Amino acid sequence: MGPRAVDPITLSTVWHTFQSTCREMRYVLDRTAQNFLMAQLHDVAAGIWDAQARTLAVPAGPTSQLLGQKFSIRYILDKFGDDLYPGDVILNNDPHHGYCNHLPDWGFFRPIFYKDELLFFTMARGHQMDTGGSYPGAYFPDGYDIHAEGLCIPPIKVFEKGVEKKDVFELVWNNVRWPEGVRVDNYALIAATKICENRLLALVQKYGRDAVMECVEEMLIRMEKAIRAEIAKVPDGTYYGEAASDDDGSRHDVPVWVRCEVTIQGDEMTIDFSKSDKQQKGFVNNVLSATYSRAIAGSFLFFDPGLADFHNEGSMKPVKLIAPEGSVVNAKYPATVGGSPVSVGTQILEATVMALSQAMPHKAIASWGRHQGHYIFGTDPRSGERYVETTFDSDGGAGAVWGYDGFEGAAAFPTLGSVQRSEIEEVEIRFPWRIRRYGFIPDMSGAGRWRGACGMHWEALNLGSDGGMATGSSDGHQTQPPGAAGGAPGPLCKAFLKRGDEQMVIKPHRMYKIGAGDVLVKISGGGAGVGNPLEREPKKVLEDVVNEFISLEVARDIYRVAIRPQTLEIDWEETRKLRSSR
Amino acid sequence: MYRVCIDVGGTFTDGLVLDERGNLQQFKSATTPQDPSVGFLACLEKAAGAFHQSLSSFLADVDLLIHGTTLATNTLINESGAKTGMITTKDFRDIIEIRRGYKNIRTSMYNVFVPPYKPLVPRHSRLEVEERTVHSGEILTPLNEAQVPQAISKLKEKGVQSVAICFLHSYANPRNEQRATEIAKALFDGAYITASHEILPVWREFERFSTTVVSAYVGPVVERYLRALEKRLKDSGFRGSLLLMLSSGLVETVEHCIPRAVFLIGSGPAAAPSGALYLGRAVDQQNLLSIDMGGTSFDVCMIRHGQIPTSTESWVGDERVAIKMVDIHSAGAGGGSIAWVDSLGLLRVGPHSAGAEPGPACYGKGGEAPTVTDADLLLGYVPADFFLGGEIPLNVERATQAVMKVADPLNMSVSQAAQAIFTTVNSFMADQISEVSTKRGYDIRDFALVVGGGAGPVHAATIADQLGIPTVVIPTVAATYSAFGMFAMDIGRDYARSYISRADRIDLDRVTRLYEEMEQEALEASRSMHVPSGQVVFTRSADTRYIGQFHEVEVEMARGKLGPGDIETALQSFHQKHEELYTFNMHWKGVEFLTFRLKAVAPKAPFHLRQIGQGGRDASAALKRRRSCWFNGREMDTPVYDGDKLLAGNLIQGPAIIEESTTTVVIPETFSCSVDERKNYVLTRRSQAS
Repeated sequence: MGPRAVDPITLSTVWHTFQSTCREMRYVLDRTAQNFLMAQLHDVAAGIWDAQARTLAVPAGPTSQLLGQKFSIRYILDKFGDDLYPGDVILNNDPHHGYCNHLPDWGFFRPIFYKDELLFFTMARGHQMDTGGSYPGAYFPDGYDIHAEGLCIPPIKVFEKGVEKKDVFELVWNNVRWPEGVRVDNYALIAATKICENRLLALVQKYGRDAVMECVEEMLIRMEKAIRAEIAKVPDGTYYGEAASDDDGSRHDVPVWVRCEVTIQGDEMTIDFSKSDKQQKGFVNNVLSATYSRAIAGSFLFFDPGLADFHNEGSMKPVKLIAPEGSVVNAKYPATVGGSPVSVGTQILEATVMALSQAMPHKAIASWGRHQGHYIFGTDPRSGERYVETTFDSDGGAGAVWGYDGFEGAAAFPTLGSVQRSEIEEVEIRFPWRIRRYGFIPDMSGAGRWRGACGMHWEALNLGSDGGMATGSSDGHQTQPPGAAGGAPGPLCKAFLKRGDEQMVIKPHRMYKIGAGDVLVKISGGGAGVGNPLEREPKKVLEDVVNEFISLEVARDIYRVAIRPQTLEIDWEETRKLRSSR
Repeated sequence: MYRVCIDVGGTFTDGLVLDERGNLQQFKSATTPQDPSVGFLACLEKAAGAFHQSLSSFLADVDLLIHGTTLATNTLINESGAKTGMITTKDFRDIIEIRRGYKNIRTSMYNVFVPPYKPLVPRHSRLEVEERTVHSGEILTPLNEAQVPQAISKLKEKGVQSVAICFLHSYANPRNEQRATEIAKALFDGAYITASHEILPVWREFERFSTTVVSAYVGPVVERYLRALEKRLKDSGFRGSLLLMLSSGLVETVEHCIPRAVFLIGSGPAAAPSGALYLGRAVDQQNLLSIDMGGTSFDVCMIRHGQIPTSTESWVGDERVAIKMVDIHSAGAGGGSIAWVDSLGLLRVGPHSAGAEPGPACYGKGGEAPTVTDADLLLGYVPADFFLGGEIPLNVERATQAVMKVADPLNMSVSQAAQAIFTTVNSFMADQISEVSTKRGYDIRDFALVVGGGAGPVHAATIADQLGIPTVVIPTVAATYSAFGMFAMDIGRDYARSYISRADRIDLDRVTRLYEEMEQEALEASRSMHVPSGQVVFTRSADTRYIGQFHEVEVEMARGKLGPGDIETALQSFHQKHEELYTFNMHWKGVEFLTFRLKAVAPKAPFHLRQIGQGGRDASAALKRRRSCWFNGREMDTPVYDGDKLLAGNLIQGPAIIEESTTTVVIPETFSCSVDERKNYVLTRRSQAS
């Protein structure tokens, strides 16, 4: 069949098929995986690239697993050259050899051929329940080097021409805890890439290779044009943002800084992290692809929301990244990187967004409550088997944006809402922990004309054995997510371990012993605010008091709105006085 | 005896009656929003008249009445439900507001400019009581009974009329929830009180609580209506069975539905796809886009390979509704949708509707806002003297005055503004169709459009033209589309029992017993519907998964007493289905059973659409008159055909109008229309026409 001219309906169908296929891949993982993080919390990403490693579709997934994966595809192309065949599946988790963000996020890549011509790559990446290394799960600090963090898998074939390489898998699974579970999840990820191949080949068969490839070019051209027009609207200049992580997990209590200068010139944008801290001993180092992912994601948030569904290489072309080698935003082998998606990774996004909020104050975006993750491991007395547990449940919510309060409940800024919280009932069925409290806690949001979402109080009792806990996926106990346009930063987070009458402070980036009967308490800060709190509508302040999102004191002292405690009515006269006397 | 299906929409109440010879007749009356049972009875009265009977003697001859209603959906979408409170487990009152951390339900993750979710029950009306059950069913903390009255009196003070009682793990042991419900009911006379284990007795609290709160929110409105309806029907002589269409496409009794109002979300539209499938046979198509444009809302459903899609992952507006629903996308667009000019000076249409009262300006019932129907009238599409067969005379003068309200600020002539309203609402509906097709990666050109709703036939071909859909089917029952769907489907009910067990340790006698119990229950239910037990067809199935997975695959199970071979067969079909769905299976991995299901189906009553006489291609014998209509900004002298006089085989080239007593078919220039022997109008885009 000869080439066909691309008509608008074909273009629209092809473009949407790329997006919906990635969503379907995430759905397949949801339905088939057995690991809590992948199937329940959706810590999985899926995307499509072309044979030149150009990004075609990246609609959903934690940003660091997804947006910079053209670096991985390029690495695979360089490594394998012509040694790629239909039916090949390539596994990679190594940040230093293949541009994965950290070891637990295993990516399965599939080259997609049509009539012996390589047309596309797809990747499904998901957080495994274990990757070997010193402790179960992930996010344990202070490893000697990357090898201490787990099994490093450079891009290798696990399927060749449709045949499983059983010995390779045997080696891999023999080096992780819960090999049977990891095996299920690996097959689920591979299935997702297979679904993608089926969908894309059906598309090519239906419209013809040339028509589809023409659509691809058109998708990239149109997107680039739209993004350049968006950037051109922003006043030329250089804008600064910065954010810190509590520490690097090796050198305690010394903040690690990400500093970002965004320069707008005409229809191009440069995001420069040159002033950021040097590569650290501890596990907060980001590799280039991870930094790229977060910076690009930050820029996407400021473009016309109407474009949000369709981003591709065209959106990335007008944006340049500068990240000097050997810094915390472009770490070199053998740097540890285990905590980087949460710590420093989050700050890369925060600093980018902070800088861009100054360039576009009427699109200002405040940062979200910092992730309060943990990896708890021990033995479940009900089955006698070892377990590892992690959730997003104790996270505070989203930061405010110009025009809206922060989204209550949304978790972990760099996921942009692509991950989910678990359900208490599911957690209690799967893990030997009983949740004792889970809900909003007053006065734990960044104030502003639009306030950040509220922080959480989360508390759980250990019904399992003695065990351990890594807090490498927590941050923000000493450093805060920045507000924007005069809004306050997100409040600091706290955590405790209660053992009988004793109460021990729990900090991010540490290892702790957990005892049977211990109670873990986490109090998280919510999102940061946008705009001056004194400009918040008094009616909204009252609503927040009635709903116990804020106290009467905060209403009075921060928002300067006087509310009569008995009747819960606004004292307008007093409010006017408070607001005029600064 | 008669069988009747009634669908109450936002604007019109549609009725279809099946007589003993298998003929269908349709009737329409205005919906009466204050008490929809009034319009319901008015529709029946019309039917009785057509059969030359009094209402009571007609109703005495009706053995089965199936009823769909958009009441629950509209109550939720229009935020007109009851003031609702919640009583929940201490320290867990925020579950429905935290949700699962969902930010973007319908938009991209790269869009952070989304208004925050506003829960149906604000935080201050979510009250906590001490109690705690765990997943084993063990009660760790019995209900603190003294706290329930305290909560109730607080909720009373707030003016709450409906209470959702939602405790953790109540699916495993509902005792605490039941006890709290008893106390609440005893103390709170007149309130609608519902508990989560009654609505969705499965684990995962967010889905269960959210669905329960939705049920509580729409419940009082639904209850008031159903009670009034039951009474009116009884007083008017009805002695047969009244069954309600559920969102799943199955049916249930009034008594069953009142405490479970959420199951009526999407009740009417859930039937439409069955009708579309039946009608799709006219063009030999199994890939269909079913649309229904009534007065208030626009529903669209994509049917692939003849399969009606269902889902337990639905969102209705901003609410998560986790019951099984036919997958229908709804939006606010219809004949009553109001046109307005926004602050940017742009013309907008909907989502507000003039509804049935006051209705479009041209009805002359006090409506002054310009609506889609007013525009359709001014464009010449809808006849002033033959709307609903002349029952509602339309006032051109009033329509003109109303449309002027948008024409002036837009600096347009009235006819230009009418054209703009027509185009705007069509583009909106085209977008809704893309939402379920193109945006899911399906090529819209592979589908035929099946059209329902009173306003659907006026707009459908123009929308199809815009989207490039080649074929449009406008059935003779378009105006009573959902009601027709209720005839076109089998009458089914479903039952489920939970029993979680590994396949290699399963107690077969217990499973057999569970199925027998459900079958017994189903037989009793069908007896009450006057269905002979011999006609009921059972389908057994079970939810299975690989141990450790979070989601199940439904497989069919054998009938009768189960033996080990039956489990082996079920396992083989599980592995196979897993492979079909997800490209792989894992024979090496253990499998567990979770829920055993029974579907009991009574086959539909045989019916046929009236056959019309055969004619040639020439339709001129049916030409009724000519009038001036606007097409693409040009006024054209357009032939108008009398739908009652058209014959099978007639071929009409656009532009043309066909007037039916319940609707008007608009055939644009780019389409031609052929009439088949059941009087379906099949419109084909000219380039594809033979």
